[in-house]
Amino acid sequence: MELSFILTNAIVVAAIYGLIAVAVSITWSSLGLINLGYGFVFSFAGYCAWLMAQNVSEWPPLVAGAGILGGALAGVMICLVVFIPLHDKPNFTTRGMIGTLAISLIGSQALLMQFGPRAKALPEIFGFWQVDIGGVILTSDKIGIVVCSILMLGFVVMWMRGSRRGLEIRAMMMNPHAASIVGIGIRSTGVYVMAMTGAMAGLASVLLSQTYYVAPFSGLTPLIKGVSIALCGGLGSVQGAVIAAVILGLTEAVTSRYLGGQYVLITQFLVIILILIVRPRGISGLLDKAREQ
Amino acid sequence: MTDVLRIDGLSAGYGPLRVIHDLDLVIKPGERLGIVGLNGHGKTTLIYAIAGLTGWQRGSILLNGTQIGRTRSQGPGRYTHQIVRKGLALMPQGDEIFTGLTVEEHLDSGAFTREAWRDRKIRKERVLDLFEPLRKLMRTPVGRLSGGERRMVSIGRGLMTDAKLYLVDEPSLGLAPKIGQSVMEALFALDLKDSAMFIAEQNVALLEGRVDRVIGMHAGKLKGEASAGLGFN
Repeated sequence: MELSFILTNAIVVAAIYGLIAVAVSITWSSLGLINLGYGFVFSFAGYCAWLMAQNVSEWPPLVAGAGILGGALAGVMICLVVFIPLHDKPNFTTRGMIGTLAISLIGSQALLMQFGPRAKALPEIFGFWQVDIGGVILTSDKIGIVVCSILMLGFVVMWMRGSRRGLEIRAMMMNPHAASIVGIGIRSTGVYVMAMTGAMAGLASVLLSQTYYVAPFSGLTPLIKGVSIALCGGLGSVQGAVIAAVILGLTEAVTSRYLGGQYVLITQFLVIILILIVRPRGISGLLDKAREQ
Repeated sequence: MTDVLRIDGLSAGYGPLRVIHDLDLVIKPGERLGIVGLNGHGKTTLIYAIAGLTGWQRGSILLNGTQIGRTRSQGPGRYTHQIVRKGLALMPQGDEIFTGLTVEEHLDSGAFTREAWRDRKIRKERVLDLFEPLRKLMRTPVGRLSGGERRMVSIGRGLMTDAKLYLVDEPSLGLAPKIGQSVMEALFALDLKDSAMFIAEQNVALLEGRVDRVIGMHAGKLKGEASAGLGFN
C-alpha cells in the first residue's frame, strides 16, 4: 500500500516534469538554445486555460486546449523575440540563455501586473472518480495526468519520426550545418520547434495546476526542474530525459513521504549532481547506438 | 541559354583572413568542371562562398541568372537554405551527415523541393542504382557506416533534387583508391542534361579525360586551364 502510493506519486510527478524536460531537450539539441523562457510559457499557458474556464466554458478539452495553444503561442513569441534575431550572432548560447531568462522574468512580471498576485485555481478537468486496483487507489487526476502526458509525448515522438517537419527537426538536432546544406531553414524550423515544445510546456502547466495553482511565478520551479532533468538525461536525448524524469520523480515521492516536502529540492539536486559526476554527459550516453563522428 | 554559374570579382574569407581574391568563373550548362589545387588554396572556400557559408564575401554570383552573391559580413549560413533551394546540390567535404538518421531518412532529407519530395521513391531508386552497396543498408543509422558508404550517402543525398549545379568537394578524399574510383565513376555516370557539375579534387589523375575542363587553383585565384585529356602543368 505504502509502496504503491509512493510509486504512483512518482509516476505522476515524472510525467509532468518529463514533458518539460523533453521540451528543453529538443529545443537545445535542434536550436542550440537553452530555453529558460519556459517559466513564462508555463504561467502564460496556465492563465490562458484559466481565462478559458472563467469566460467561455469549463468543458475539460477546451480548458486543456487553451493551455496547449497558449503554450505554443508563448513559444513562438520567444522564438520571434529571442531566437530569430540572435541565432547567428557570436556567443549565441549564452546570449540566448540570458535572452530567454529575461523573457521569462519580464513575462511573469507582466502577468503579475495584469492578473495580480492571487493564485487562481483551474477546474478539476478529470472529475472526481477513483479506481481501486488490487488495493491501490488511483484518483482521477493521477490517471488523467499520466495518460495525457503519455499521449502528448507519444504524439510528439510519432510526429518527429513520421512527418517531414519532424525529419527536418531531427536532422537539425544532429548537424545544423549539414541541415542548411540540404535546404532546411533554421529560422522556420525554429518556429515549429518552439511551437511544439511550447505546447508541451502548456499541457504540463494545465496538468500541474490540477494539484497546484496558477500564479505569475508558478513556472519557476517546473522550469528549474525541467532544465536540470534534461541536463541529467543528457541534453538532446528524448529517452534520456524520460528516464531522468522517472528517477527524479521517484526521488521526489520517496523524499516527501519519508523526510517531508521541504527536503524535496535538496535530495533531488543531490541526485542530479551525483548522476552528473558519474556520467558527465547524462544518462543518454548509455543509450547511444552511434558515436558522434 | 544562361550560364549555370557566373562569378564576377568574388572575394571571400573568414574574419581577417582573405582566402579568395577577386575570382571570375563561368560554368555553362551541361558542363563538368574540375578544380584542382593543393590543400589550403581555396577550393572548399569557393564552394562555401557559392553556398553562402563563408564568414564574409563580396562580389557577384549569378546562379542561373539569379543573384545569390550579395555582400555578406556576418552570420555564415544565414541564407544558405534559400540559396540551396534555388538549385544547388552540395556534397561537402567531410560528408556532413546526420549520424543518427538512417540511410533512407538521409536520402529523404535531400529531397527538399516539393517535386522531389513527392516522387522521392523513384529518386531513391535512382540513387540506389548508382550506389548498389547502399541498397541493403537503408535502415542502418549512418553513424555505423564505413567512410566509403558515408561518402555514397552524402553524394546520394545531393542527387535527390533536380539541381542546376552540383558542387562536389573532394569526392575521393580519405577513401581507398578503389572506392574513390567507384565514387568518381558514379559522378561521371550521372546524366547532367542542362545542369552542371563542379568537382574540387586534389588528384588530377582521377579527373583526367573525364571532365570537360580542368582549372587549377592557387592561393585563392584560378590559374591556367586545360581541356580534358591534355596533361596539366
